[in-house]
Amino acid sequence: MIDLRDLALDAPDGRLLLDGLDLAVPRGGKHLVTGPSGSGKSRLLKVIAGTERPARGQVKVGGRVIWPGDGALALVGQVRMGFAFASGGLLSNLSLRENIALPLKFQGMQENDLRARTEQALDHMGLHPVADLRPHAVSAAARKHGNLARVLALDPDLILLDDPLDGLDADDRATALEVIRRWVLDGDKTLLLAQEEPGSFLEWATGHLDLQAHFIPLETP
Amino acid sequence: MAFLARLGAPVRGFLEFLGDQAHLVLRTLRQALLLRMDQLGVVGGQTKLQIRFTGLDALWLVCGTALLLGAVTLIQAFSQLSGLGAENYIGVLMVLIILRELGPLLTAVLVIGRSSTAIAAELGAMQLNGEVDALAAHGINPYQYLLLPRWLGVLVSVFALVVFFDATALAGGFLVAKLKYGVTFGFFMDSVRQTLSNRDFAATLLKVLFFTGAITFHACHFGLGIHRSQTEIPQAVTKTVVSALVAVFALDGVIAALFYF
Repeated sequence: MIDLRDLALDAPDGRLLLDGLDLAVPRGGKHLVTGPSGSGKSRLLKVIAGTERPARGQVKVGGRVIWPGDGALALVGQVRMGFAFASGGLLSNLSLRENIALPLKFQGMQENDLRARTEQALDHMGLHPVADLRPHAVSAAARKHGNLARVLALDPDLILLDDPLDGLDADDRATALEVIRRWVLDGDKTLLLAQEEPGSFLEWATGHLDLQAHFIPLETP
Repeated sequence: MAFLARLGAPVRGFLEFLGDQAHLVLRTLRQALLLRMDQLGVVGGQTKLQIRFTGLDALWLVCGTALLLGAVTLIQAFSQLSGLGAENYIGVLMVLIILRELGPLLTAVLVIGRSSTAIAAELGAMQLNGEVDALAAHGINPYQYLLLPRWLGVLVSVFALVVFFDATALAGGFLVAKLKYGVTFGFFMDSVRQTLSNRDFAATLLKVLFFTGAITFHACHFGLGIHRSQTEIPQAVTKTVVSALVAVFALDGVIAALFYF
């Protein structure tokens, strides 16, 4: 499902962040990406999602070359992907409910199915009380859950999760973990999860990429 | 060599900008053709929002400006031409000054001030917040969801606003002509109609089409070009206004030369 060849990523300031990265995640694979803060985990996920351009190398998703190429546009209508961002990522002019429904609406889903899927996802993540509020009006945990709920409703083939448990309390963590566990048990879903420490995720991961080995740290004078 | 490089850099920058604009326009047109029927509702909803903001919300501002402009144009013209049979030239004055030139131009300037600034700021904030990335990552084509509805919305709005601008400016001119010289409505409209030609309609339509392209895609270019910090947003807004104004005046000159030179 994911194939990275000789990938190099640069930081926003232009310095090289990661170099010589190769990775192959088969369809249905569950891969864990770890590395210290600032090592390029989020950037790697965005490159795989096709929203950021790598400095060098080839990225294939679902058999389609997205870099070098059109990035995420090459995947529209071809590979169904869901991305839970570490922060942001929800449209600020839409309520949480509308944010969850928008990708389904754009897929052309029937109104009844769309409503059922959206309400189910809201229910699952415990977001009903804040469903009609916009992202700025809810807590950071609710925004994080909103990101997961959008992925849940979309029911994608490829799931990218960027630090999904960061900043969550015990209850919210348990809710998020339950959803992630469901994706882990689903053999059709390809999952790529990035976070600083592997934690308990190593138990189920079919592969583990430690970015420390490819990371080029800032030179200190 | 350094001197030549200094001369070449702005030219290269300008050509790159033109290339980027052409890329945005062509991509948006291509993605418009790829829209599925079941996606029209979402794109139509976004277009309606843009029409409400750019067209409906600006209607009173545009009509007020046009009414005053129409009245003032005739007051000034009569003050200079009184005694020379100025009332016979009412139609020529209104068509030449208002309908041909100031109608589309001032409408575009007002829309740049109100809407292209808003589009640049909104897209910039969305880009910083990762919202554009989120759209693309979830199968929502940003050209179809963000750029196309804004362009269509601005196109419909500017066309409607120019019609309202022209009609209200004529009303302002007629008011002055009637109050000061007792000109009848029939005489006023006949005078305008005799001067107005199909060429004027064609030139106005072409101006609306090109002006809206410049207004929307300059805003999208500068708004989506924001990547680092919030302080870039006001800079992008300023660049949008300056760049869109220059483009609109340049296009106006080219179209005037093509049609009337």
